[in-house]
Amino acid sequence: MSKRPPPDPAAVLRGHRASVADVCFHPSKPILFSGSSDGELRIWDIVQHRTLSSSWVHSAAHGILTVASSSEIGANKVISQGRDGTVKCWDIQDGSLSRAPLVTIKTSSYHFCKLSLVQMPAAGAGAANWCRNQQEKENVDVVYDGRGNLGEDESESSNSTEEDSHCGGPNCIAVAGELTSEVELWDLKSAERIARLPESSSTGSPSISGSQRGMCMSVQAFLPSSSQGFLNVLAGYEDGSMLWWDIRSAAGPLTSVKYHSEPVLSISIDGFCTGGISGSADDKIMLYSFDASTGSCIIRKEISLERPGISGTSIRPDGKIVATAGWDHRIRVYNYRKGNALAILKYHQATCNGVSYSPDSKLLASASEDSTIALWELYPPSISK
Amino acid sequence: MESDGTREKEIETRLLDEVGGVISTIKSAKHVDEVICALHSVAVLLFPTDSSLIVGSLDELHRAQVRSAKIPAANERKKWRRAFYRGAGFPTLALVLLIDVASNWLPCFPFSARQHVYDVFFVHGLAVEVIQSLVPCLQYSLNDGFDAKAVKSNTERLLVLSLLENGGMLRMVKELGSSELYEDLTHAQLISVMSRLAQIVASIPDKASQRASSSLSSHLFFKQITSQLLSVSRDRTETISDQESIFYKHDVDTTLLFIGDIFSRICRRGSSDVLLAELVPELLRHVQNILSSSGDSVSVDNFESDPGSQFWLNIMEAVKDSYSIERISEQILLQLASRLASDTETYWSLHLLFGKNFEKSPSIRSMFVDKFLLWKVLPLCCLRWILQFAVLQCPPIANQLTKGHATEILLDTVQRLVSVWASQDFIQSTPTEQQVYVTAAIGLCMEKMSKEELDSSKVLMHAILQGVSCRLENPGHLVRKMASNIALVFSKVIDPKNPLYLDDNCVEAIDWEFGFTIHGKGTLSTSTFIEKHIDDTKSLTSSESIIDSCHQTNDQPNKITRRHSRRASQFKMIDPDEIIDPSMLNLESASDKDEDDASSETSESSGDSSLQPYDLADDDTDLKQKITQLVDIVGALRKSNDPDGVDAALDAAEKLVRASPDELKHIAGELVRTLVQVRCSDLAVEGEEESIEEKRQRALVALLVTSPFESLDSINKLLYSPHVDTSQRIMILDVMTEAAQELASSKTLKSRQQQTVSRALISTISETQPWFLPSSKGPPGSTLWKEVSETGTPLNYSHRYEREVPSRPSPIIKGKTRRWGNHYANIKNTQAEEWTGNKFPVYAAAFMLPAMQGFDKKRQGVDLLGRDFIVLGKLLHMLGVCMRCASLHPEASALASPFLDMLRMREICRHKEAYVRRAVLFAASCLLVSLHPSFVASCLTEGNVEVAKGLEWIRTWALEVTESDTDRECYIMAMSCLQLHAEMALQASRVLESTENNASSSHPKVGVSLLPSNLNLGLGTIKVPPSNLRYSIM
Repeated sequence: MSKRPPPDPAAVLRGHRASVADVCFHPSKPILFSGSSDGELRIWDIVQHRTLSSSWVHSAAHGILTVASSSEIGANKVISQGRDGTVKCWDIQDGSLSRAPLVTIKTSSYHFCKLSLVQMPAAGAGAANWCRNQQEKENVDVVYDGRGNLGEDESESSNSTEEDSHCGGPNCIAVAGELTSEVELWDLKSAERIARLPESSSTGSPSISGSQRGMCMSVQAFLPSSSQGFLNVLAGYEDGSMLWWDIRSAAGPLTSVKYHSEPVLSISIDGFCTGGISGSADDKIMLYSFDASTGSCIIRKEISLERPGISGTSIRPDGKIVATAGWDHRIRVYNYRKGNALAILKYHQATCNGVSYSPDSKLLASASEDSTIALWELYPPSISK
Repeated sequence: MESDGTREKEIETRLLDEVGGVISTIKSAKHVDEVICALHSVAVLLFPTDSSLIVGSLDELHRAQVRSAKIPAANERKKWRRAFYRGAGFPTLALVLLIDVASNWLPCFPFSARQHVYDVFFVHGLAVEVIQSLVPCLQYSLNDGFDAKAVKSNTERLLVLSLLENGGMLRMVKELGSSELYEDLTHAQLISVMSRLAQIVASIPDKASQRASSSLSSHLFFKQITSQLLSVSRDRTETISDQESIFYKHDVDTTLLFIGDIFSRICRRGSSDVLLAELVPELLRHVQNILSSSGDSVSVDNFESDPGSQFWLNIMEAVKDSYSIERISEQILLQLASRLASDTETYWSLHLLFGKNFEKSPSIRSMFVDKFLLWKVLPLCCLRWILQFAVLQCPPIANQLTKGHATEILLDTVQRLVSVWASQDFIQSTPTEQQVYVTAAIGLCMEKMSKEELDSSKVLMHAILQGVSCRLENPGHLVRKMASNIALVFSKVIDPKNPLYLDDNCVEAIDWEFGFTIHGKGTLSTSTFIEKHIDDTKSLTSSESIIDSCHQTNDQPNKITRRHSRRASQFKMIDPDEIIDPSMLNLESASDKDEDDASSETSESSGDSSLQPYDLADDDTDLKQKITQLVDIVGALRKSNDPDGVDAALDAAEKLVRASPDELKHIAGELVRTLVQVRCSDLAVEGEEESIEEKRQRALVALLVTSPFESLDSINKLLYSPHVDTSQRIMILDVMTEAAQELASSKTLKSRQQQTVSRALISTISETQPWFLPSSKGPPGSTLWKEVSETGTPLNYSHRYEREVPSRPSPIIKGKTRRWGNHYANIKNTQAEEWTGNKFPVYAAAFMLPAMQGFDKKRQGVDLLGRDFIVLGKLLHMLGVCMRCASLHPEASALASPFLDMLRMREICRHKEAYVRRAVLFAASCLLVSLHPSFVASCLTEGNVEVAKGLEWIRTWALEVTESDTDRECYIMAMSCLQLHAEMALQASRVLESTENNASSSHPKVGVSLLPSNLNLGLGTIKVPPSNLRYSIM
C-alpha cells in the first residue's frame, strides 16, 4: 500500500490562555468541554468550532486537572476537577455553566491524578444512542443490555444512584485520595466518600505495600458485567504497578501487576470492560485483556515508543482504535485489537495532555500545553455497527 | 708456411700492379667501356663473373678484351680475394671506385655492368673491409671537382645493398668469428678492430644524408641490424651441435663481444627501444619454448643446458657499457610489460640474461636493487618482476610473488627502501609518481615478510612508523593513502587477524598503483584517477545500500520475533511479593490463545480493512529545545557536558546570528571565542562529526559576515593563540575565507540608471566592472557578461564570457493604447537593475592585516614556518582569496604591498613543502588578478617601487618554479601565474598607452610609441612574455 501522509487536524480550537489539561465530549450533544491549567472551563460548539461559554471554575493558581462528562451522571452535567482539592459538578443549561456548581466535593487531594467516572460495559452501544439522541433532541433513552437493572432514564437517574450509592454505582467518581497512595470513591450526589482503597480503617493495619508503590497516578473505575453492580477500580501507581480493586474487598487488591517501569499515567478501559490500555512515563504502551471473573489482567500487546511519556489514552467507543497523547507532542493512533500503529499525528507544539473520543466515534479531540485543542477525523466508524 | 707467405706476397704485388693499372686506366679513360673493361679485369680475378652478362653493352674492341680475360681457378680466386681485401688493394681501388668512378662514370654504366663489375666489389667482398671503406665516403665533402652528391648517394646505395639487403652484418660476424681470416691479429687487436667496426656501423644513420633512403634512418637501420645479429643466435643454435666446443668457445667470445658492442652503441645512440623491440620477442619465444617443453618442473638446468640459451646467457656479459645495460634492462621490462608476459616467463627471461652476472657483478645487482627500486618509475608489474628476480630471487609460483630462501636480501632491501621512504626530504621533494612507486615496492616486499623478520630489525619498525606518521600529517590525500596502505600491510604482518584500517574504506586488496596508470614514460593521468575514484565511490555506496537493504529485509522479522519472545519470557517471571492470582498461572495458555486470536484476525481482513495505517515516518526536529537568545547559545556551548544542548545551540546559532539582533555587536566576540573552542568531535555521535562541524563553521561565517569588525577582532587573536590547536587554526582560516567570499558576493539592488550616472561622474578608474571582463558597451538592454563555464583550473585565463543581447529592434508596431505602448521597454528597464555590491573591501584590511602579523613568530604551540606548514598554506590561501574578493578596489592596491612583502619572504616562497609553495602561487595569482591595471600603471609611472618590484618578483619567481620545482602541481600553477602576469602586464601597458596618447595629444612633440623603451630612468619594467616586449616606463 502506498503510504498516505498523516492527516492534519479537522479543526483547531484556540482560545485558552494556558495549557489545556483535559477535554471531553458531551455524551449526546455536539459539545466539547475543555479545562485549562489556569482554571478556565470552556464549552465549545464542535459544529461551528466556536466557544459557547467560558468560565473560571477553579482558581487560576491551581487550574483544572480534569473535565468529565458522561450519560451516567446526567446529560447536562459536567465535572471539573481542580488542583485546589475540589471536584465540582456543573449543570449546563443553554450552553453555559450554572453560576454555582451543583455539587462541590472537597477531596483535599492536590495531586496530578485525574479522576475517573465509571465506565459501563457495553457502552459501545452509546455511539448509536448518541446519534439518535442528537436527532431526538435530548430524549435520552439509554438501554443497557447485560444485567438490565441499570436501564434508566435521565429523570430516573437520581433515584437509582441513591439506591446504588452504597455499592458504588455508576454515579460516583474515583480519584486519588488525600493520602496519595489511596484511591477514594465519592458519590456525586451526596459529595460523600463511599470508600477508600485500600480500606485502612477497617483493617487497622497500614495499607498493603501502599507506601512501596508510591502515589496513585491514574485511576479508572468500571463496572464489569460479572461484578453484579459492584464497582471495580483499576489504579496505576508511581512505581509502574497497577492494582485491580473490587469495592467488595476493599482491604486488598484483586490483582496486582507491574508492567511499567515508570509511573502509570493513564488507564483506559474499553466499552465492554474486557480490556484496556495503559500509558506511562516509560516508553511503553500496554494493551490488556481482563477477565473479571478471575480478576486476571493479561498483556495482550506491548507497544514500544521512540520517546517515552504517554499522558493520556482514549479508546474509541466502538473499540476499534485507541489514541494516546504523548509528551513528545504527538498523538498516536493504534489499532486496538492488533496493537499496530496506524498514525502519528503531528500538530501540537507542546506536550499533549489528553485525548478523548466523541461518543459517536467520529471525532478525536486532543488537548495540549500549547493551549490549543485539535479535532481530528480519522478512520470513520463503520455505519453497519 | 714459408712458401705460403712468399706466395701471398707475390699475389699481393701482382694484385697491386693490376689495381694500379686499372686505376690509371680509369683516370685516363675516355669512354665508359674502357672503365668497364678495366674493372672487369680485376673483378674476374676475384669473383666468379659471367662475362657474357656485361658484353652486350660494350663495343667490339672491348668486348674482345673482356672475353679474353683470364679466369683463374676457384681456389686461386679465393687467395686472390683474401690478398686483395686484407691488403692495400681494396682500399685503394675502393677510393677510386667510390669517388672517381661514382661521380664521373657510374651514371653511364649499364645496369648489368654496374652490378657485375662495380657493385660486386662491395657486395661480395669482405664485409669488414667494405664497411671501413664505404662509411668514410658518406661524409665526402666537395673537392677536386667531383660530384659530392653523387658520391654520397652512391655510397648510401652501396651500404643498403651490402649491409642490409645482402646480410652484411651477418657476414661481418662470421668473418670476425672465423679463425682463418683474422688469425694474424692478436686478441686485443681484434677487439679494437671490432670496436672500431661497431662504431662505424652504429654511426651510419647519423652520417647518412637527409635524402638517403629511409632504410638508413636510425629506426629502420638498427632494426635491420638487430634482426641480422639475432639471427646469429639462431644460426648458432643450429651449428653448435656439430662443432667442437673448444673452437666454439673462441668463436663465442669474439662474435658475442662484437654483437654486444653493437648493442651497446645502439643504446648509446638512443635506439634501445628499437633494439629491444626486436630482441624481446626472440627471447620470449625462446623462454616459452623451454617452459613448454619442460612442463611443470622448471629448473635452472633446463635453461642452461639448452643449446639455444648460450647466446642469451652470455650476451649481457658482452655488453660492457653500464649505461647500455641499464637502458637494455629497463627496456626489457617495459617491453615485457607491453607484451603482457607472465610472471614466470619474465622471471626466466631476466634470469637468462642477468642470472649469471647478478651474482658476479655488483653493478648489475645495484642496478636492480637500487636504481630500479629507488630512482626509476616503472609500471607496477615491472616492479613485481624486479622484486621477484632481484630481491626474492626465486622463480615465482602461480604468477604470484613468491618468497625464496634468501631472506637477508629481502630484509636488507626493505630496510634500505624504508629508510629512504621515511625521510622527510623524500616526502617533500620527490615527485608523486616516485613516491607511489617506492611505496608500492615497500608494500609488496612487506607482504612477503614474516613477523619474525620484521622483529629482527628494530630500525625497520621505527622507520616504518616514522614514515607513516609523517605522511598521515600531510595535506595530500594520496600521501595519506600511501601511509595508510603501508600501515595496513604492516599491521597484517604483525597480526593477520587484526588489520589496521586508517581510513574508512576497508578493501582487502590494496591498490599499490593508487589509481595511477604509470605509462611507459612515467607520466600519469590524473583525470582517469579521479574518474575512477568517483566511480569507485559510486559503486561502493550503491552496493553498500543494496547490502544494507538486504540485511534489513533479512534481519528485521527475525529481530522482532526474537525480541518479542524475550519479552514474553520476562513477563512470565512473577514477583514473589505480588498477590498471585490463580488465573495468572495460565498466562501462557492465555497468550497462546491470544496468538490464535491474532492470526484469526489477520485472516479475517474485512474487520480491519478500513484501518490502513498512515505514513508512520517520524522525526524529532520539532522537539528540540529552541534557543532564541544569543546569550543562551554562549551558555549552552560552554556546557560541554551537555552534548544535546551544544547541538541545539549550534543548530540555532547561524539563524540567530543572521537575524543580526542588536546585541550581536556586544556578544559577537565572545560567541566567536566559544564557537572556536567548542570541541565538536567530543560531543558528536560517531559519524555525525561532519554535520556538527559544519554547523559550527556556518555559524562562525555568519558571525564574521554580520558583525565583521567585532568578530574579526577576537578571531584574529585566536588565530595565533597558544590555546587553540592546529585543527582549530585551520578551521578559523577556512571560516575567514568563506566569510570573505560571502561578503564579496553579497548582493544589493542597484538600478542600472544609477549606475550609468555614477559611471559618468566618476572616472573610469573606478569602473565597477572588473577589468578582465569584456567591455559592457553594447546595445541597450543587453544583460551582464557571464562567464561561460568551462572545465579547467580556476585561474584559467582563457575564460569566455557571454551575454544576452536583445534582438534587433524590429519595426514592431506599437500598440495604440497608451497603457501598453512602452510597457515592454519599461519592463526591460526594471530588469536591468542589477545585483551588485561587494561589501568586502571595507573589511579587507581587518581580515588580512592582523593575520599577516606574527605568522613568522615561533611560540608555544605555534610554528607556522616549520611544523604547522598546513596552517601556513591555509593562511596564504585565505589571504589570496581575500585579495581576490577585494579585487579592483583601492583597498586591494593598498594591501598589495605588504602582502607581496610577505610572499617574498624566503621562508615562505621557498618553503620545503610543496603545499606551501602551491599556496604562495595561488596567492600570487590572486594578487595579479586583483590589481587594477591603472594601479599597476601608476605604480610604474609614479614610482611605487615596492609594488613594481614585487610584481616583477612574481614573474621571475614563477619562472623559477616552472624550471626547477619538483612538484607537478606547482609547475602547473606557476604556468598559469605567468599567464596571469602576462595578461596583467598587457592590460597595464594598454593603460599606459592610453595615457601616453593623451599626453601626446597635448605635447605633439613626443612621438606616439608603443614601445617607450627609449625613455630611460626605468623605475620598473613590465615584461609581456609572449611578445617579449619590454615596457620600461620613465
